[in-house]
Amino acid sequence: MKKTLYIFQNGQLKRKDNSLYFETEERRKYIPIEDTSDIYIFGEVDVSKKFLEFVSQKEICIHYFNHYGYYVGTFYPREHLNAGYVVLKQAEHYLEKEKRLTLAKTFVKGSIGQMIQVLKYYRNRRDEGKDFFINIIEEIQNEAIHIENTNSIEELMAVEGHAREKYYSSFDYIIADPDFPFEKRSQRPPLNRLNAIISFGNTIVYTTVLSEIYKTYLDPRIGYLHATNFRRFSLNLDVAEIFKPIMIDRLIFTLINKKMITKKTLINIWMGFFFLKKEGKNLLLNWTNE
Amino acid sequence: MFVILVYDFGEKRVGKALKIARKYLHWVQNSVLEGEISNANYTKLKMELRSIMNSEEDSVIFYTFRTKNYSKREEFGLKKGGDENIL
Repeated sequence: MKKTLYIFQNGQLKRKDNSLYFETEERRKYIPIEDTSDIYIFGEVDVSKKFLEFVSQKEICIHYFNHYGYYVGTFYPREHLNAGYVVLKQAEHYLEKEKRLTLAKTFVKGSIGQMIQVLKYYRNRRDEGKDFFINIIEEIQNEAIHIENTNSIEELMAVEGHAREKYYSSFDYIIADPDFPFEKRSQRPPLNRLNAIISFGNTIVYTTVLSEIYKTYLDPRIGYLHATNFRRFSLNLDVAEIFKPIMIDRLIFTLINKKMITKKTLINIWMGFFFLKKEGKNLLLNWTNE
Repeated sequence: MFVILVYDFGEKRVGKALKIARKYLHWVQNSVLEGEISNANYTKLKMELRSIMNSEEDSVIFYTFRTKNYSKREEFGLKKGGDENIL
């Protein structure tokens, strides 16, 4: 498996000897191009056109994030897999309501299925509070039954929302740390520590999925559950729904419960909003790769 | 597949060998590189090295492992290079 390269330092990324080369004031490092699948840039990194040509040729996506870890955008190299037929079919599945709904339902089913997996894991591991988990799982399963009966994306979203709310209500039971209360899900900006970690984690899933989509014939601009609009890629958001609970939520629970992420070391507060410090981002990325 | 590459090339060709190897593997110390590599890239790397080497004078050794599971890596002293993907 090719690796993902994360850059937090400030410096220059270059093409050198037909490979990647990262240079800062203190250090220089070569990175094997053939072992790199995509690059995430968090620091102030200078690149040249020569470099972009090179990564484009090697089909490497470069994802940019701002100072707070928010996704800025992607250098999405020229589509190397180009099939007009697939684009047409993809659009057809969006435009025909029935087909779109079928796909969207599949995403929601997958997502809810993974949430239940997470809950089951903790149901089996906890000695006390088993009833709580059993109840929640049942409630979510009852909610999931309604998926089949929905006739519009809006209804489907509502069902998904209810299930997710119930899922989130279990977070405070799973996390036994008073420093990380869940309270409620808040994004843009996250209003507490846990939300900051979840947001950053989800961002990583979105971009990982985007990189994977790049390797297929699919067009990331056409999503099914998330409306296709003028603003952004949406297919990756759909697919990410399935991976979020198992990839990120599980990881966060483990890191917090094992006290690897703590209140002081890893979270920054800026005007009442919470962000992960560099070390926190580092830690999370390190573990997502495990 | 995980490989360790050790090479000993004549002065004239050593730089070329390093440049080729760096495209595929992580530099660890002088003349030693290691890393995860696909079968296809392994073949490519061998071919590229063969094309520049002088088989009378130069030497290349590859140690390959299917997984790293049953091996152990110990390192002490100054860390010169190696696999890092968070910078």
